[in-house]
Order: sequence, then structure tokens, then C-alpha cells
Amino acid sequence: MITAERKPLEEIIEYIKPFKRILLLGCNECVTVCAAGGRKEVGLLASGLQLALLKSGSSIEIREHTLERQCDPEYVEELVPMIGSEEAILSMACGCGVQQLATRFKDKPVFPALNTKFMGGSLSQGMWDERCKGCGDCLLGLTGGICPIAKCAKQLMNGPCGGSTDGKCEISDDVECAWQLIWNRLKALGQEDRFLDIMPAKDWRSGGGGGPRKIIREDLAE
Amino acid sequence: MQNTNTLQTSNRVLVVGGGLGGIRTALDLAEAEKDVILVDKAENIGGLMTQLDRTFPTNNCDLCTLAPNLSESGRQEHISLLSMTTVQGVTGEKGNFTVSLKSAPRYINLDKCTGCGACYEAFPECVRFSPGLDHRAPTCMRYPQAIPQAYSIELDKCQDIEALVKSCPAGAINPDDLGSSGDISCSAIVMSPGASLFDPSGIDYLGYSEHPDVVTSLEYERILSASGPTSGQLLRPSNGKQPKKIAWIQCIGSRGLQKGAAPYCSGACCMFALKEAMVTKERFQEDIETTIFYMDMRTFGKDYELYYQRAKDDFGIRFIHSRPHSILRQPGAEKLEMSYTTDESSKLITEEYDMVVLSTGFRVGDDVRDLAVKMGIELNESNFPAHTGLNQIATSRPGIYVAGTFQGPKDIPETMVQASAAACLAGKDIAAPKKSPDTKPLLPPEKHVVGEEPKVGVFICDCGENIGGVIDVEALVERVGKLPHVVVAQAEGHGCSRESMDHIRSTIKEKGINRVVIGGCSPRTHETKFQDLIRQEGLNKYLLEMANIRDQVTWVHALQPEKAVKKAEELIRMAVGAVIKAQPLAEHSLPINKNVLVVGGGVTGMTSALELAEQGFKVYLAEKSPDLGGIASQLRKTLEGDDVQAFLSSLIEKTMANENIEVITGAIIVDHSGMPGMFTTGMQVGRQMFYRQIEHGVTILATGALPNRPEQFMLDECKEVVTQIEIQVLIEDQSEIVRQWENVVMIQCVGSRTKDNPNCSRICCQNAIKNSLRILEINPDARVFVLYRDMRTYGFQEEYYQKAREKGVIFVRYHQDNPPQVASVDGKVDVSFTDIILGREIVVSADCLCLSTGLVADQDSTEELAMIFKLPRTHDGFFLEDHVKLRPVDLPVPGFFVAGTAHSPKTISESLVQARAVASRAQTLLAKEFINLGAATAKVDSTRCASCLICVRACPFDVPFINADGYSEIDPAKCHGCGICATECPAKAIQLMQFEDDQILAKLEQLFEEVVG
Amino acid sequence: MENFEPVIVAFCCHYCAYTAADMAGSQRLPYPSNVKIIRVPCSGKVDALHITKAFEKGADGVYVAGCLDGDCHFKNGNDKAAKLVTYVQNYLEEIGLEPERLEMVRISAGMGDRFALIATEITEKIRKLGPSPIKTVAA
Repeated sequence: MITAERKPLEEIIEYIKPFKRILLLGCNECVTVCAAGGRKEVGLLASGLQLALLKSGSSIEIREHTLERQCDPEYVEELVPMIGSEEAILSMACGCGVQQLATRFKDKPVFPALNTKFMGGSLSQGMWDERCKGCGDCLLGLTGGICPIAKCAKQLMNGPCGGSTDGKCEISDDVECAWQLIWNRLKALGQEDRFLDIMPAKDWRSGGGGGPRKIIREDLAE
Repeated sequence: MQNTNTLQTSNRVLVVGGGLGGIRTALDLAEAEKDVILVDKAENIGGLMTQLDRTFPTNNCDLCTLAPNLSESGRQEHISLLSMTTVQGVTGEKGNFTVSLKSAPRYINLDKCTGCGACYEAFPECVRFSPGLDHRAPTCMRYPQAIPQAYSIELDKCQDIEALVKSCPAGAINPDDLGSSGDISCSAIVMSPGASLFDPSGIDYLGYSEHPDVVTSLEYERILSASGPTSGQLLRPSNGKQPKKIAWIQCIGSRGLQKGAAPYCSGACCMFALKEAMVTKERFQEDIETTIFYMDMRTFGKDYELYYQRAKDDFGIRFIHSRPHSILRQPGAEKLEMSYTTDESSKLITEEYDMVVLSTGFRVGDDVRDLAVKMGIELNESNFPAHTGLNQIATSRPGIYVAGTFQGPKDIPETMVQASAAACLAGKDIAAPKKSPDTKPLLPPEKHVVGEEPKVGVFICDCGENIGGVIDVEALVERVGKLPHVVVAQAEGHGCSRESMDHIRSTIKEKGINRVVIGGCSPRTHETKFQDLIRQEGLNKYLLEMANIRDQVTWVHALQPEKAVKKAEELIRMAVGAVIKAQPLAEHSLPINKNVLVVGGGVTGMTSALELAEQGFKVYLAEKSPDLGGIASQLRKTLEGDDVQAFLSSLIEKTMANENIEVITGAIIVDHSGMPGMFTTGMQVGRQMFYRQIEHGVTILATGALPNRPEQFMLDECKEVVTQIEIQVLIEDQSEIVRQWENVVMIQCVGSRTKDNPNCSRICCQNAIKNSLRILEINPDARVFVLYRDMRTYGFQEEYYQKAREKGVIFVRYHQDNPPQVASVDGKVDVSFTDIILGREIVVSADCLCLSTGLVADQDSTEELAMIFKLPRTHDGFFLEDHVKLRPVDLPVPGFFVAGTAHSPKTISESLVQARAVASRAQTLLAKEFINLGAATAKVDSTRCASCLICVRACPFDVPFINADGYSEIDPAKCHGCGICATECPAKAIQLMQFEDDQILAKLEQLFEEVVG
Repeated sequence: MENFEPVIVAFCCHYCAYTAADMAGSQRLPYPSNVKIIRVPCSGKVDALHITKAFEKGADGVYVAGCLDGDCHFKNGNDKAAKLVTYVQNYLEEIGLEPERLEMVRISAGMGDRFALIATEITEKIRKLGPSPIKTVAA
């Protein structure tokens, strides 16, 4: 899933300061699951903004709503009959949702309330880590199910660099060396010899190096 | 003794003693729809536990755990409570006793007293408010939680009786009360009068009567307590300074050591001292030194050994294996001086202490002994009930049962188990228990209020002077009457009086009120009462809010009446706001299947099955092996000399012959579903493993434990090395071999109290004593050595330990880090060990080396069952009860119970107590036609759920799960109602009924209505 | 502000602090009337939103009162509440409110005196902090 975190209040306030009425819009998908932009966070942000503005002597009318998914046009369409006097939309979705809104509501400013972080998964309650960079050419089958693109700071393709010490990456003791993990895993699987195959330089075109990407399923697309 | 009508029938049980055990017995019987008379000589029930601050092994505050029990007890319609009452004599026999009772005058009519305290304020000198050790304990403990919730008067201390009578706004004081006496009849009697504590003043060398800094453990408990005489400050009685060094001395008045000491071990004092030392360390950390002087640390209960380890390793409590010689205080000196020697050297060590705590043991009080004599039951030489074979609960007089510390010294968890077991046995003696449904009034159908305009009725109590004396209730009524949606607001005097309740009902009816607010006392004590009231008028119970304007306003803000008025109004406004948002809620209830599944066909399982079958319940007894009997089939005699095989074969015979029991041997449980009252359990049966399903309402786990068999000391390598179970078979079946032995060595704690298995197996010390004594009986010339770490012959077992020493059994202590060494030499086993006292190595050439290997959990079986039934286990694989003290045989999953060695290692007679206790607990469920699960459960709105798993992870009880439709589902039968999932749900898809967000927000909104507006 | 009377919302767990408050009552232990109690089944039931809404409506201080360590009726609701309070304190700081206006306290059911003491101390603390900047604006 896509993970995100709320932006600092100060930044959000800068966006919405000029307006009297805004729509604060949550999303019931990824950002709900990572506790960043679901109904609960919408309520809490609305209340926090209200407090911050009241404190500085102003006030604002905030209407709260949460869509099933902000990145699909049909769900966004649900807003059309309900949006009235709101002058701007503050979105608590990931960047995909924010852009979907901006595309649909051309005459209303749309602001992000979240910083979209990464594609990742849940480690345990309240903890998520990065797992995928979306390179478009998955290597996990060769690397024991551990991604050197997402998990190696240098995105090395053929084993660790000299900064790998005791299984940790030189950037921080909190970061595990991806290649150490890969090695451990291959060894456990009895596939150490895979390490001998040199991986060719990665073709980054599939990873966005060739410009914005698009998927078209011919059988579905109209 | 009003209401003689109900006292005519003998279809009920008399419980003597309203301590924790008596309350448990009475509650169990009452919940099983059986009538009880509970008598206590004190003004209020609660017993010794009301004086304890925190109790082991959970070290939590007792009030929070005891209080619900007491008010539960007060509410039960099946319980008649007679306080300040004693038993004068008993005639008749089981099934039809006549008991003469005498009640001392209370001078207060319990039916009228509201517990307001006006009399106490006016005449503190003659109103009993604080019986007990100090001013705080009883005010806190016995009141306001006290049952009955009433004061009592000491009339002889009163100067102006007329004024005293007038001080009571409820007119409850009756100076003409003469007390009463009379006869009642009953079918059975349970005695749980409790025990007293040894008074150490007679032992001069301890200096208890001379030095104020020498205190008993119970006194220390009070000093330490946050609610004690020093208000939570630990201060030396002599000079009011904080002590820096405290010592505990164990076994004071127990184990036959001092003048006047009892021959038995008091069983609970080691844990009691550990707890006190731990709580002390917890509070003062490095600032205080705590030392425990002990003979043997007897932490034999479930997981108690871990508690001991924690005390030692985590809390840094010092343990010295020694009995200090004397406690002195040099003239003019501040500190106490104590001399002792240690195992390691005979040198006298002298240390100074600020305080010394004497761990005094249990005694049968003179009043209790007299009571027992009046009851006509035989006593042993220590005045406890005489041994009656394997059934600890029975006495020499059929129909009279005993539980708690009067049965024998013990701690709270074991008291609670015995209390339930006594309820089981006494309940069986009731010839024809009356059926109660006819007593319950029929309720009108509930009105539909959803979608209706809220019409709120606000009823405000003046509660005599309690509220009315501080604020002007009429003025308050007028103001809140103007709130939106409030149709009527009126003052109600004592809202909980019959007259006011009737008035509220008629107002609800007349004005068509659909939501009710009561402004008065605490919902904790009165919500149920008012819920029932509005329900009788056809309103759903949950359309009620209570504004606590007495306990939380007028009682605490009496000095600032203006502020009190304002706050009272705010609280009522908040209640109105919340009740408008309230929705009618359905209490979840299910019809109960009254069949019982007992898993495990050992002595425990069979006993539980028989007790329930004899009460008319159908029991399926599933045993995985081909035969009944379990581990007991390997045992011959108990320490006390009871014949296990004779007992077992008669038990099997009775089990097989009982028409209500279906024995299923060769049964392996494979699946399970349903909820309490309607379980379905699947099993594969017999050699063909054919599958069958059983439907049942409750499940009892009596799956036992396994004899441990660690690969140590050449066990299974050398034929001269045996276990205690094997040696007792040799003794009883092949005594000719035993006769030839010259030397026998026993090693204790083999495979127990070690790193791999840290717990104590509880049964091994007494097994070693039992078998040593038997060996010497057969072969008086044999030399028997017992190598031990701590001899744990708790309770009356101590007397056998004493006897073994007298008979010449040689007990040698060894340290865990220096265990005995063994070698096989020419058909014998050379055992070498260090004698700590002699300080040298000794080698014994043993004909037989017997290892005390104890019991371990049947890991495979408990793991499997825990998975199928979703039950928690302890780290060492025993089933984990719901609450060590208050629900010791109830498992956390409703409808599940555990008994016997599946709970923890224990003796046969202790297992039988649990077997009967679970039978009693099971009946509290089975007596009902429906099971009420309450309404405060979490509810998921599936249209909002994002299936994020946050609730699944957050729930402390693992209730939510993502169902086949992909949404979170919360089973109301399993939900405990904490609301944590509702708090954490990021999609706001979960609401906790009765505490919905909109109700909480409405309260906030209303509170600030004026402040902001 | 001479006559400033703060309004303080206390979310109290039914099993401990709420009982302790009743006990303070039955022992007639006075504490400031500024404290208004909202009963919850467990301190873990208190939501961040309940706290911020209280400030939004005009509270000068809020505290969450749960059971003593290890005493939670629901295993660990009190610990969850303590974490939540820290989280919301940080949020308040971001908003520009003094985080000291919010507090987590632990009380057992038997501690009527402690309840009164805490209520008094917190009221005094908030009184010293002065009125919530939110209320000043709104009023």
C-alpha cells in the first residue's frame, strides 16, 4: 500500500489561511490503513486546525468528508452534488488522490494535507516500512524476496558495499544492510550460488527514467 | 429477623462468615438459583481481606476487586444477609437443620438507612463507621462499598438519643432495637468463619510488646498502605522517620518453633512477606534495604516461584536462610539490633534494622472454635476441622461443609476455590430448590423511540440534606426544565425510595417521556436500579443517564454552594445532551444448552462430571486414553494414609453407573465453535477415529499433567535410580526389596525450579516425606537421606515433616549451583553432596536413589486444546485462569473452566476441591435459561470498515477478526466492552455501544454551552 | 486574571478513577469544582478527538485518569491511554497550546484522597497557566 504522514500543521495552515470555508477530504483506502488520512484523522485534523486558527484569532468553517477512494474518478464524482460554498479542498489522500481532485475540480484550489511517503507494508501495529520503489522490472525472484532497490541505500545490484558492518548499513545502525539480508535468505534457501551470477546494470527506463508511466489493459480499456 | 415467611423453608444453605470465601459461596449458590442465608458477626461483610492493601500474586488494590463482589452480593435476590449475627446452636441433620441465630442490635433499620452519613456527622462518637485497625481502612474499605450499606450505632455511648434519632433524615434510627434471636432451618451449612492471626506478644525475645518498630505483617500492611494510618507514608512507629532497613522474620507462631507456636505451616506467609518487601522496594527503590530471614521459602503455588525469583532478581530483596536469635534495642539506641548465624559459618552476625516485621501465621480463633463446637464438628488438635479423607470440604458432620482458612491455613486463591467447592456440595443437599421465574415481574414490551422527538424527563433527588442541604434543588429543577427537549423536570426527594420511584414511573407514563435523566448519586451504585425502573415503564434500559450530583458535587463542594449549584447544573446539562443521543440497545442474550463437556477422565474430571450429573445435568466425559483414572491409577496412598486405589475404583464405578454421564474414551478433540451456552465440539473417537460432534453449554478442562522425567542423575540409565511415583509402587507392591535397603537417597527439585522449568511442582516434598516414612515403617534400619533446596511441606504436611525428622530421616540442604553428584558403583549409586552445616563432602552409597521429579504440563495436549478452544496458557503450558484470586477456576473465555493439575501441579485432594469448584461455577451458568451478555459491546459499521486490521491488533482479548466478507467482525458474546478498538479505528467504523462518540461529544458540547456561548 | 476559574475535563475510567471520585465524595474530601468528570469504561476508550474537542469547546485543561500500572480491567487500556496522551500533547504543542494543559494520571479505586489531591493540583496548575488561548479568543 501507499503510506503517508500528516504535514506539519503550520504548512497546512499556510495553504488554507485565505479561505473561509474548506472541504477536508479523507480517503478510506491506503491512508486509512496507515492511520494518516481516514475518518479519524480527518476529525482530528479539523479539530486541530480549528484550534490553531481560533488561537490566532481567526476561524474557518471545515466540512469533513471521507471518500471510499480519492484516486478513482467515480468516487470523486460523488462530491460534485455536495460541494457548495467550499472555497478549497484539503485532501488527506496520497498524491494520487490530490491530483484526481485537482483534475476534477478545475476551479477550486486543492491542497495536500499529507506527505506521501512510500510503498510499503505493515511491520506491526503502528509501524510501516518501505518495500518497493516501483521500478517496473521486479528482481525479487533473484534476490530471495528482498528488494535491493528499495532496501539498499545505494540501490546496489551485486552485493553489499564496503559500508556493510555486522549486517548494518553505514547510514545508520537502525538500517539493515539489504545485501546481508539477501545473502542470509539465499543461504537459508540453499541458493548461495545465485550470488555468483552478475546482475547486469539496471534499465531504469521502466522505473520512470523514461518519463511518466501508464498501464493500458487493452481488453478492459475503452 | 423480619420476613419470617421466607425463613420457614429448609430449602436453602446457611453460610457462616461473610469474608471473601463466604461471599463467593453465597454468590455461587445464588447464581445457581439457590437460596442462601449469609450470616456474619461483623457490621458489614468483607472479612480479613478488607484490611489488606495489595494482595499477591497480582499486587493490585483489593478494593477494586472486592468491591464488585460485595455489591453483587448485595443485589442478589437469593441471598438474605444477616449481619451482626452469630450461630447459637445447630440441631437436625443434613437436609433439615435447625439453626438458632442471635443478632445484636444495630439500632438502625436497614430498610430505611440510605447510608447518607448524617448521623455520623452529628454524632461521630457513637456511630460505628470505622471498626478495624485505623481510621482510614474501614472508612475506605467498609464504606461506601460496605454491604449492607448502613451504619450501626453504639447506643451506650450516646448522650442525647432523641437528637441522634432526629439527625437521620430517613428516620432509620431505632433506639428501641433489642436485636433478635430465632431459629431458621436449612438443608446444609457452609462454615467459612476465617482465621485469626498469631499474637507474638508472648514471645519475649522478639520484643514485639516492647519495641514499637517490631510489627506484625498485617500491621506493616496497614502502615505501608496508601490508605493506612500514615496516609501512605512508610514511617517508623517509634519516631515517625522513614525506615532505611527492614527485616522480615518468617514462621512466627508457625512450624512449632516458638513458645505457643502451632505445629503446622501457615502456608501464606512467605508470599505475604515477599509481597510486602516487593511493594516496599517498588516505592523506595535504592532508598531502602529489605531482608527476609526464612527457614524454607514456600512459594509452591501457581507461578509463585517466579514471583520469588522476581523478588530476588528484579527487586534486589536480600534472603537469609536463618532464624535470628533475638531482637534487642540497646538503651538509648534508635535502631533494633538483631543477631543471627548463617549456613556458611557459625559466626554470630549482628545487624541493625529500623523495623522488623514478624510474619505471623494463622490460628483458629477462640470464637471460631466455640462455633465449631456448637456446630458439633470434630476438630484436630490445632482446632481446625479433623481430616475427613480426600474430601477437604467435608466435616465429621454430614451436611456441614467448611471452606477457607478455617479448613486449614491458606491464601486467597485457594480460599476462593474451596468456597466454590463448598457451594457445590451444600447446593446438592437442597432437596427441592425453588424455581424462581414466578417471582420475576412481567415486563411490558419496549416502546419504539427511534425517530421520535426526544422527550426528556429530569428527576433530581435532594437525598435528604445530602444534596438538598447544599444546593437549592427546586431552583435547579427550574433552570434545567428550560433545556431543549426537557419535557418535565421535577424534584424527587429520595429518588431511590419506593414512593419516589413510583412517582417517577407515573410521570414517565403521563408525560410520554422517552428518555430519562436522574440527578442524584453515582451510576456505579444506582444505575441498575433506575434502569430497571424505566424498563418497567416500557423504556429501553439504555435511555437513561445519571448525573452524579451527590458523590461528585454536593459531597465534595459543600463549602462552595454557588459553585456546587453551577456544577450540578452543568452535569445535568451534560446528561441531557447525552441521553438525547442515546439509542435503545439490545442486551445480547442466548438460550443455554445445559449439557456439559468434561475433557479428561482422571479423578478431577470424573468428580466434576459426577457432581454435575447428580444435579441432573447431562455430562459428556471425554478421555483421550482408553481408560479412566489418569495419573491416580499409579498412586497408592496419600501422605495422610488415604487409600487412592480404593477411592479411584469406587469413583470409576460411580461414573460408569451414572445415567447422566456418557463416558467417551479414546476421544481426541479436533474442532470447536459456538459461544457460551451453545458450544459445538467435534472429536475423533476410538481406534477407527470416527468423528462425532457434541453440543454443550459449558466446557470443563481436567486434562491433568504429566509426571516429569528429566534426563538427570542417571534416571533411565541405572536401574537403582527411580522417581517418587516408582518408589511408592515398590514400597506398596514389593516391600521385600525395600526391606533389603541400607541407604536410600532422595533428591528434591529434579527438573523443577530450574532454568528450563522454573516453577515448583508443589507435590514432591510431601511425596518424599510420605515415602520416607513408609520406608522406615517397613525397614526401620534403613537410612533415608533427603537432599532438598527448600522443604515445602505447607499446612498440616509440616507435621509429617516433623515426624520424619523425629524418625531419623536425614534432611540435607543443597544449593542449586552445587547439586549432588551421582555415580553407579557395583549395583549401587554413590551420591556425593556437600553438607552445608558440616562444611564437607559426604558420599552415600545408596541402594536406591529416588528423584523427586514432580509434574509438568502436558504440553502437546494443552497446546492443541488451547488452539482449538482459543485459551491462553502459562509460559510453562498450564491453562491460565481468568483471575488468580477472583475467578481462579474460570478461564478467560466465558463458559470454560479448568480444574486439577491442568491448572497447576497439586495433590489429589486439592484437585478434588477444584473439581467441585468448577462444578459449582458451571452451575452458575447452567441454572439460567438465557445468558445475558450486556449491551456495552463494540459494533462495526461494515460500510466504513477499511479492513486495516488495526482493531484486530489493538483488542486486548483478540476478539475482532476480518470475516469472509472482508470486514472486521466483533462477536458481542466475546467483546469485553473496553472500547479500545473504537478509539483506534482509523476509519471510525467502530462504536462502543453505550459510550458512542456522539454521546461523549454531546457531553462536551453541553458542558461548554454557556462558557463559550 | 484575578478571578480566573478554569474548566477542566477529567475523563475517568469507570473501574478506578471514577470510583475514586465517588470515594472522595463519601469521605467528603473537597476538591475544586472546576473538574468535570466524564465517565468512560476504560481510559483506553478516550479518543484523541475527545481531547481536542474539549479544548475546542473551551476547556482550559484536560486529564485522562486510568488505573494503576498493571491494574487495567482490560489488560492494557491504561498504557494505551498514556501513549495517546503523549501523542496528543505533541499535537497540542504543534497547534500552539501548552502541552501541560493535558495530563495522564493513574488512580486506583480506593484512592479517594489521591483523586482529590490530583484534582486540586491540576486545577492549580491550570490556574497558573491562565485561560486557554482558545477560549480567550472565542469569548
